[in-house]
Amino acid sequence: MDSSPTRLPEVGGAISAHGLGGAKDLPIPSELAIAGAVAALVISFTVLAVAWREPRYDAATSGRPAPEWLDRFVSSTALAVSARVLGMAFFLYVGAAAVFGQDTLINPFLGTFYVLLWVGLVPASLLLGPVFKAISPARTISMLFAKVSGVPEGEGLYAYPARLGYWPAAAGLFAFVWLELVYPSSTDIGPVRLWCAAYLGIMFVGSALFGTTFLARADPFEVYSSLVAKLSIWGRREGRLVLRSPLANLDTTVARPGLVAVVAVLFGSTAFDSFRESTAWLGVVQAMSTPRVVPDTLALVAFSAGVGVVLAVATMATGVTADTPRRALPDLFAHSVVPIIVGYIVAHYLTYFVEYGQQTIIQLSDPFSRGDDYLGTADLQVNYWLSMHPTFLAVTKVLAVALGHVVGVVAAHDRAVKLLPRRHQLTGQLPLLVAMVGFTVGGLYLLFAA
Amino acid sequence: MSGRVLTRLAPVVLVLAAGLTGCGGSDGEADPPATSQSPSTDGDSVAVTVTREGDSFTPNGERVELAVDQALVLTIDADEAGELHVHSTPEQDIAYDEGSSEHEITIDRPGVVEVESHDPDLIILQLEVR
Repeated sequence: MDSSPTRLPEVGGAISAHGLGGAKDLPIPSELAIAGAVAALVISFTVLAVAWREPRYDAATSGRPAPEWLDRFVSSTALAVSARVLGMAFFLYVGAAAVFGQDTLINPFLGTFYVLLWVGLVPASLLLGPVFKAISPARTISMLFAKVSGVPEGEGLYAYPARLGYWPAAAGLFAFVWLELVYPSSTDIGPVRLWCAAYLGIMFVGSALFGTTFLARADPFEVYSSLVAKLSIWGRREGRLVLRSPLANLDTTVARPGLVAVVAVLFGSTAFDSFRESTAWLGVVQAMSTPRVVPDTLALVAFSAGVGVVLAVATMATGVTADTPRRALPDLFAHSVVPIIVGYIVAHYLTYFVEYGQQTIIQLSDPFSRGDDYLGTADLQVNYWLSMHPTFLAVTKVLAVALGHVVGVVAAHDRAVKLLPRRHQLTGQLPLLVAMVGFTVGGLYLLFAA
Repeated sequence: MSGRVLTRLAPVVLVLAAGLTGCGGSDGEADPPATSQSPSTDGDSVAVTVTREGDSFTPNGERVELAVDQALVLTIDADEAGELHVHSTPEQDIAYDEGSSEHEITIDRPGVVEVESHDPDLIILQLEVR
């Protein structure tokens, strides 16, 4: 028997079938998971028992006008143009890495796409509002196309069909999570570049046909970012910038067809991401003769569809008034799941975002993997403080999940007292409450077990 | 009002609590069964045997607990040469030859680290490093 020392890989790393990033978080301790689950139950029924009986949030009146100077600054053309120019410059820079860079894991294209864009848009939108809309290269280029062809701003050839609502965005989000979580070559440059090209192509054609409304309903990143931005303090009322509590702001989410599918894909896929690493699932799929992509795809569909069906059933299982058809309820309540999603995303992706995000910023200095230092970040070192403090990390995760749950339950309660007939206001929200507790407890269970 | 509400809610709470306990109970049995490949702790190191027969590996995605900086001694019995990737940060590679060989790795940060074979792509071990 020979004992050979372990080699560290040469810079560039082998192309791996593994997702981005190295070590993952430890499971959260069982005591914390149970504490979080109990908290979710207690919070839910406390809100039900003690919260207000008259709706509190109204998009038409809520929010305090922002100071004049802040409104002028935020609404200024200069800020809008700078955001577009910066977004476009960054897009072209990373695009160059995607097209001319090497097919290695240190190509910053991958980290930018999976970490800075996909995960980063959540904190950015929470803090600053609908950020992606302001910087979106798809929107910038569509606006330029419209300008060149002399089309009035925002208009397309046809009106966007209202019935489609957010369904195209739900499909786009599913295409993204399938690429990230299921597709075996998710870290090869070629397929990811192809995905991005298809995404941009669809956005250009769609916005030429239906105007910029298409981007607000069908661009998966813009819809996701604008939805999370409803949990920020930034809102608008009659064109004026207002500051709102996140709960009041969340209530201004416009329910359109497909909103429930958007939240179902977002929550279902994050849960699937925990589940696919569990020993139980690994044992099953790795013993199968079919390639992993088949059972993984089925499981991702099952998770997303499962969340959607549970939400639809739970919101419709109530008495209704004549003004609100029962089948409209899932989309009218879907906004209340957004905080639960955000809490779970924080729990799930915090370390990945902080540590792989730093790694990506370092890699961005060297887009062609030649040892360049364009941005002066190449020599920085990743700070692994978060990984080194697993207890702090676990407590933060459970707090994020519990906080998301509180906000979600309160949002659903306010919507219930607004929409449901008086005698169904309490019993009518019970099924949704049970579903929310199920989501939160299920999420905690996955954080504990997988 | 609240008293009546609470009485009405009591059954729901009970059903929920029972459901939760039920879930917890049944899922708790999902632990991997003990096999001959189970890790054995010997003093300062943890030893695991990995067997490769053609394209199939044992263990199959099993969890192994390890302390930070504790040595993991992998004994690899393979009928053909290949490579394992340890997805720590930074990544570590283990190249093995046909026959029996012994390899030692350590992980210097807490987390879950996957040990994978590439070609075929299989997760062999998940190291729970604390």
